[in-house]
Amino acid sequence: MSAATIDLVGLAKSFGALEVVSPIDLHVEPGSFVSIVGPSGCGKSTLLRMVAGLERASGGTATVDGASPAALRRDKRLAVVPQQPGLLPWRTVEANASLLLDVDRGRNPASHPDPRELLAEVGLDEFAARHPHQLSGGMQQRVALVRGFSLGAPLVLMDEPFAALDEITRAEMRGLLARMLQRHPATVLFVTHSITEAVFLSDRVLVTSPRPATVVADVTITLARPRTDDLEDTPEFVRLCSELRHHLRRAMA
Amino acid sequence: MSSRRALHALAPMIGIVVFLGLWQLVVEVFDVRPFVLRSPTDIVAYLADAPGDFLRASAITALHALAGIVFALVISIALGAVLSASVTLERAAQPILSLVQVTPFAAYIPAVVLWLGADDPPVRFIATLVCIPGFTFAAVAGMRSADPASLELFDSIDASRWAVLWRLRLPSAMPSLLTAARYNTGLALIVAYLVEGSNFADRGLGAIGRRAAAYSLGDALWATIFCMALLGSIGLLAIGAIERSVLAWHASQRSVTLP
Repeated sequence: MSAATIDLVGLAKSFGALEVVSPIDLHVEPGSFVSIVGPSGCGKSTLLRMVAGLERASGGTATVDGASPAALRRDKRLAVVPQQPGLLPWRTVEANASLLLDVDRGRNPASHPDPRELLAEVGLDEFAARHPHQLSGGMQQRVALVRGFSLGAPLVLMDEPFAALDEITRAEMRGLLARMLQRHPATVLFVTHSITEAVFLSDRVLVTSPRPATVVADVTITLARPRTDDLEDTPEFVRLCSELRHHLRRAMA
Repeated sequence: MSSRRALHALAPMIGIVVFLGLWQLVVEVFDVRPFVLRSPTDIVAYLADAPGDFLRASAITALHALAGIVFALVISIALGAVLSASVTLERAAQPILSLVQVTPFAAYIPAVVLWLGADDPPVRFIATLVCIPGFTFAAVAGMRSADPASLELFDSIDASRWAVLWRLRLPSAMPSLLTAARYNTGLALIVAYLVEGSNFADRGLGAIGRRAAAYSLGDALWATIFCMALLGSIGLLAIGAIERSVLAWHASQRSVTLP
């Protein structure tokens, strides 16, 4: 139960006559990190939200470990890390970290990490009693990350979680995320604009076309783990990035 | 820094002193006739003569207004929770809330007194009623303003309606509810005063004011007005204190609470 299997069969979305996501078939192995890279406004977020069941699909099905996303949400076995940290300003850092556990406690999973320990892992234990407005953007996003991992969920969906951060903080955050996943394994679907971020974090990168979104390339990233910052300068990393950039350019044309 | 804080704390007092000073000055310089406007010193001298009576009456009026505010707040939060969930219901409720706002309550005081009897109940009832529209509008707007990203986060664990209301929508409505409370404090006080004057009972500043007006007792009338002004100021100071503690996280309070 540490990581989930995702199966999408003909999953599609249209808003009236506007097709946003073309029917997609996808199988994701448990414990793998899959990034979705594509031009902005192409329907990546919609795809992610359909997997979470937060957006109703126009066609096809999404199942996680054979169950529906709705069942997953009810059992608190799905975590979402949004683009904006979405911290509640009246709650302290610690209370924000444990928010998902505090809401409807009766449905909490039998075992889950201690939010306090997670805060320590991301170096925020000293800030537990602060309020979000007293933190930097990067620190706020780290709290959102902790909140996402607090459920010990087998599936984590991330929608451009680092998009609003500066370059230096982004690099720091992706290293942090990679380390957290080593300690708390989960299947991750990760939407991003950044090719280097996708290569650094993923086992597999899907490149999508502009709207309606279709998967135009499915690239396996074979780089060894654990991955460290100096990886970025290796020839293999550079080659993978240019390959993805090539796919993306072709998709845009 | 601490001197600025002291200034913040003293600012309301300074405002009151300046206002009373100007009032005294106007009365003395223009030699205003006593039945038009008494000077503050005259009023204080009159109050000092029978402080117990006015203190008791002020406490009664304050409790009437407080009851109205608290009842209205509870009703409006419940109403706001329902109305913020449905645009149709909110639209259906708009005319009723407007009706409550614009109907002159003086017109239905006799009916309420007949229904609830004399004394406290009709005062509390009407003070509650007049505070409901403001609180309800604030509750609906505030609850609707809950951050969509946070709402989706609650959705992602299939949070119960109750959890969303209690942990997200209600805290989001606190800033607008407290702003409405500032407005309703004055409203509840003046309505309590006026209903006390016409509920065939003998309690509260309004009862004294009504008798004083009937017998042209200018001193007593102005003394009740003076007490009302004090009650209003105390009410606003109390709400300011609540805002500083409850809304410490809100942008409106940060310049005050942070060094």
